[in-house]
Amino acid sequence: MSEPRIIWTMPTRGDGRGGPARGWDAPPPLPPTVRDGRAGGPAFTPFDYLHQVSRAAELGGLGGVYVPYDPHGEESLVVSGSVGRDSRFLEVVAGFPAGVATPVYAAKLSATLQRAFGGRFAWRLEVELDERVQRAQGDFVTGADRYARAAEFLTAARAVWHGRDVDFTGRFYEVVKGGFTGPLAGLPFPTVYLSGTSDEALALSAEHADVHVFDLAPDDELDRHVARLGGRVRLALQTTVHTREEESELSGSAGLRGTYEEVADQLLAYRERGFDTFFLAAEPRLEEVLRIAQHVRPLLAGRA
Amino acid sequence: MAIDIWWRIGMAGDPSSLRTAHRQSRGDWAPPGPDSITPGVRDGAPDGYGLLDYLVQTARAAEGLGFHGGLLPSFPGTDDPWAVASALARETKTYRFMVAFQPGFLNPVQAARMSASLHRATGGRVTYNIITGGGGPPQLWWGDKVAHDDRYARTSEFLDVLRGVWDGGPFDFTGRFYRVEGGGLPGPLAGLPFPEVYFSGSSPAAIEAAGRHADYYLSWLEPFPALRAKFDAVRERSAAPKFAVRVDVLARPTEREAWADIERGWRHVRPEAVRAQLSRDGGDSFGVRRAVSFQPGTFTGFRDFEVQPNVFAGLALMRPGPAFGLVGSYRQVAERLDELIDLGVDSFILAGGPHLEEAYHVAEGVLPLLRSRLAGAGR
Repeated sequence: MSEPRIIWTMPTRGDGRGGPARGWDAPPPLPPTVRDGRAGGPAFTPFDYLHQVSRAAELGGLGGVYVPYDPHGEESLVVSGSVGRDSRFLEVVAGFPAGVATPVYAAKLSATLQRAFGGRFAWRLEVELDERVQRAQGDFVTGADRYARAAEFLTAARAVWHGRDVDFTGRFYEVVKGGFTGPLAGLPFPTVYLSGTSDEALALSAEHADVHVFDLAPDDELDRHVARLGGRVRLALQTTVHTREEESELSGSAGLRGTYEEVADQLLAYRERGFDTFFLAAEPRLEEVLRIAQHVRPLLAGRA
Repeated sequence: MAIDIWWRIGMAGDPSSLRTAHRQSRGDWAPPGPDSITPGVRDGAPDGYGLLDYLVQTARAAEGLGFHGGLLPSFPGTDDPWAVASALARETKTYRFMVAFQPGFLNPVQAARMSASLHRATGGRVTYNIITGGGGPPQLWWGDKVAHDDRYARTSEFLDVLRGVWDGGPFDFTGRFYRVEGGGLPGPLAGLPFPEVYFSGSSPAAIEAAGRHADYYLSWLEPFPALRAKFDAVRERSAAPKFAVRVDVLARPTEREAWADIERGWRHVRPEAVRAQLSRDGGDSFGVRRAVSFQPGTFTGFRDFEVQPNVFAGLALMRPGPAFGLVGSYRQVAERLDELIDLGVDSFILAGGPHLEEAYHVAEGVLPLLRSRLAGAGR
């Protein structure tokens, strides 16, 4: 069995220990006592910190990074392009909903990222967003229609990605003589991650997902949902994590919580049950990804 | 006057924390294990990354947090700081490279050219940390047989030649150690701002030479009264250079959390190593001999090495490097740094293991608590 893959969640709306948020708020000035080394030099940007986190995941040997869709945070496709190019190994999973672009445009942009990354780009299509959030983003497709649209979005995107002279007519999208040419043709289509536990969500995944991402839930509940996906779809789990060397040092609450050994054991137990990918997050993202890389990952390698 | 705060980088790698300080799991200076990164292991094979990739990340973290730059130390068991500085030059924006080197291993004209080229590559981000003393087996490892006090004479000559060729020629020089005829840096390499000089050494010969050449007199951390006496000795012999201290820091939100890391790291220290440390002499390095003299006389546990509040003298037993460091809460460490500033310190070279994560603890936790000094007030 392969080693559990860890995909680390990028902090696209700030990070840190409660002070000014790294990679989001303006960096705090040093006290007047201290000469600020940044003064007079080229500008630092929030992306300098985002790259600290993605590089830590890269150097720490993790499987990938997840750039969540967050209308109130940094834009996920742009962040993906930036951190993916600064990596040799990471799968870069960009979260976005169908409403942000036509399927042809999303596919076109993704083909360029696929070229930039050498095939490490993935989509996590968000379907069940808060409808108020959607409307604020100019998207008025609601309810179960969102699943019908997502299915069409993926169908149309795959069609133009792989085909020539593609005609497509659906409820939401229409394409005439579409299809990519030249170096944009022939690339691997982004791995498709989907999530949700409604009937519509599981049906969409059974048809269109490469990987279905579940939130942590009781085992029997997870089993029920998994059974409805069919055997083709790979399984992933998403959770926060809080881990320390010793039990007495644990403070926060999280989905996965325990010593390094306990967290590794929990991940391996899920691996046994068929979950091969884990979307994890803990704060500060930089320090905690290094902790996972150096203390938990060695307990996974070779035991899976 | 504003204080410069530098952040060291781990030129022989880093541990994942002081709890595992006995093992450098970052970089390739220690044997690889499943916990190693740079290089790490992917699918059973090394991933092709190396220490330099980690150093880039550390330097970028430090500069993004506002540190002035960092010390690139030089020992037989480290990568070479000139080479690393040139590799980091284009990977960083404001990080200033305090290159540690021993005059005598490098021709001074060549040192001038390397410095000028590096200045050009970085927009003037080169600073010198000139090391002269040391002595004992490491000195012969480098192939240097010159005796202790003579090494300071050689350092003086070295800097005379370096300054002599710096602004262009022709420069002639005949000394005990170096001879140059018609020297001088060429074209646009000539006439750049001369790098600031951090000069260290605890012996009388060192303090004498520091008076002639140093912008900053640099000391390891020592118990504060000893440091005060040392600074006074330097002030007596020279036209009041500025002072810098090289300080390891372990700072956490609470004192308890900070000492917990020491307590766990200390589990890897063998009792024989403690006994050997307590009976050690310092070879012909005055600095090491001084450090040894500040150790506790008796030993019942690691806190005996806390020779004054928050000043811990046991770090050398936990990892390679200097013995002394500050251990405590963010506030305690800030208070100790404030006391050092009151002693006359103008510049700190701070360090911590691992340098990447510890940079955030210090910049976010400690530095904002430094006492603000109104312009014109105080010293």
